[in-house]
Amino acid sequence: MNLSFRHDAFLKRAGSRAFCVGLLVALALAPTAKAQDMSFDVDEAESGGSKSKEPAKAGGDEASAEVSGSASGSTDTGDVLSELTRTTKKEKEIGEGGLPREKEVVEKIYAVQRMYVLRGGRFELAPSIGDTFNDQYVTHPSLGAGLNYWITNVLAVGVNFLWYQGIESESKLNFSIRRSARLAVPITEYQLGAHLNFTYVPIYGKFEMFNDAIFQWDAYILGGVGMLRTRPVAVIDPAVRTFDFDWRVAFNAGIGLRVFITKWLTIFGELRDYMYMEKLENLQVSLSARASQSTWIDQNSTLTNNVTVQLGFTMFFPFTFEYSYPK
Amino acid sequence: MKRFAITLMTIVAVLAGFGPGVASRAHAQEVQVQGPLAGAPAVIGLRVYRAMRFQIQLHAAMSLQDEYSRAILPGGQLMFHPVDWLGIGVWGGFAAANIDSTLTDQIVAKGQTNAVNVLSLPNAKLFPEQIGRMKWVAAPQLSFIPLRGKLGIFEKLFVDTDFYLFGGVAFVGLEERSNVDFAYARMCSDMTKTGGLAAAIRCVERTVDPAQGGSTRTSRVAIAPTFGAGLSLYLADFLSMSIEWRGMPFPWNTSGTDESGHPRGDFPDQSINESDRLSHFNHMLTLGFGFYLPTKPKISTAD
Repeated sequence: MNLSFRHDAFLKRAGSRAFCVGLLVALALAPTAKAQDMSFDVDEAESGGSKSKEPAKAGGDEASAEVSGSASGSTDTGDVLSELTRTTKKEKEIGEGGLPREKEVVEKIYAVQRMYVLRGGRFELAPSIGDTFNDQYVTHPSLGAGLNYWITNVLAVGVNFLWYQGIESESKLNFSIRRSARLAVPITEYQLGAHLNFTYVPIYGKFEMFNDAIFQWDAYILGGVGMLRTRPVAVIDPAVRTFDFDWRVAFNAGIGLRVFITKWLTIFGELRDYMYMEKLENLQVSLSARASQSTWIDQNSTLTNNVTVQLGFTMFFPFTFEYSYPK
Repeated sequence: MKRFAITLMTIVAVLAGFGPGVASRAHAQEVQVQGPLAGAPAVIGLRVYRAMRFQIQLHAAMSLQDEYSRAILPGGQLMFHPVDWLGIGVWGGFAAANIDSTLTDQIVAKGQTNAVNVLSLPNAKLFPEQIGRMKWVAAPQLSFIPLRGKLGIFEKLFVDTDFYLFGGVAFVGLEERSNVDFAYARMCSDMTKTGGLAAAIRCVERTVDPAQGGSTRTSRVAIAPTFGAGLSLYLADFLSMSIEWRGMPFPWNTSGTDESGHPRGDFPDQSINESDRLSHFNHMLTLGFGFYLPTKPKISTAD
């Protein structure tokens, strides 16, 4: 009796040891799981979907190995682990009341990497600075702020506001052309802009830095319509002419790159073209009606492209989010 | 070295105005795990595209934000990468075409010459003959590749990608308007008193009109720092597509006009010479295809 009792106790301790051994084996295999989580490997680069099937196959192999192990039934070998496994299998196969349990079905499970950040349903606040990229005669640097609402993870609607007045400057080139070639290039001054935008994210990716740190990033396209408040700068007849700001309808389109620092903080850079019909200063000076304001503005409108580079950072609200899983 | 580079990148981010709080969070993205995974690399099974490989690149470069003339430079690049994050080589291009800007066309069409600007613009029709043009560029340089990753397009197409910075010394072959000394310019200017403006124009015109003989243009080599950044998209084990921006700040006389040199300040000095070379931040965009030797990259392991 005592001996039998001690034997049962030994089996329990052996079961605990087996569990520990299993845990260690699982930990030893863990780097593979980690590599999958941050995969930059060959298979994923070649095909986004092909790699995902492998875990299911491995799962299937494990299941079949388990079944064959129980069928072979290594009994009375003195191997504590095998003994324990055999006993457990028996318990599994026979349910309550001696009725056989339903056969276990091996399902294929596809491993899909979680998105680093979920944007859907979150707000994004984006302060930025910008500068003109295409105009050599006058620069339109700006201070900006944007607010986006992400309808889905890849589509957002938002507004952005830009302030220009006071930080613009005429280039030296303009003065040089006037002096050297006796030509004046009509230029304009901006005050502010307000625009409605849609943003779409077709491209995403990640970078590792020296195999130590990983950065997630995405590229986006955006476009919209808004208002721009501008006025001509008097260069043809500056002694007489002065102009007031007026509103112009402006369309905009651009591309951008966003790098995630954390799950709520990013830095971004974008190239955006603000297109609008500009009213420029009249190149002709009417000597008979020089003081008449109606002669100061060119009657024709000129399509103007203000291509800007904007750099800034964005903050997502709320800061945290929850992944949803199938029940 | 890797730690230093990461720290350097973090400092750059901080200096860019994102604050120390942000930088510390960025650093927190390092893989910091305990137990068996401690010290493991962030990635294994990575294609090592650059280490111990030569890159032969064929490219087309185009100068940007040019005032008077845009250069199109087909060329090549030869690089060797002793490690995956560093390369050494030479970049070059030869101007197959110089395209005049709209401003040049406008000056040709509407430029005015009078007694004051006769030296700067003796004949508007000949203005293209006096503007500076970039003819070739050769730049020994180092490439630094801090970021390696990939991008997915519409969640269907995945491309291995790396981001690189580079810096070096550029030797730029330039062609500019030949110098016109003060004595000759003064002699021409004085002709307005005897023969009128037309005589002065005819006199100065000789300095820009190749049809009248003489050396109207001079070639020289400008030495300047060059730096930039780019992305390489690896289309195959041995092939990549690159797009990069390059900056080359140096002074040159892009317009061929009298801009500076007066002893009393930044005014014309009635001569065309070195003092009329104004500082320009010259931009360039390059699109290229790189071929790698050996053709098979190594695959990184957990070691």
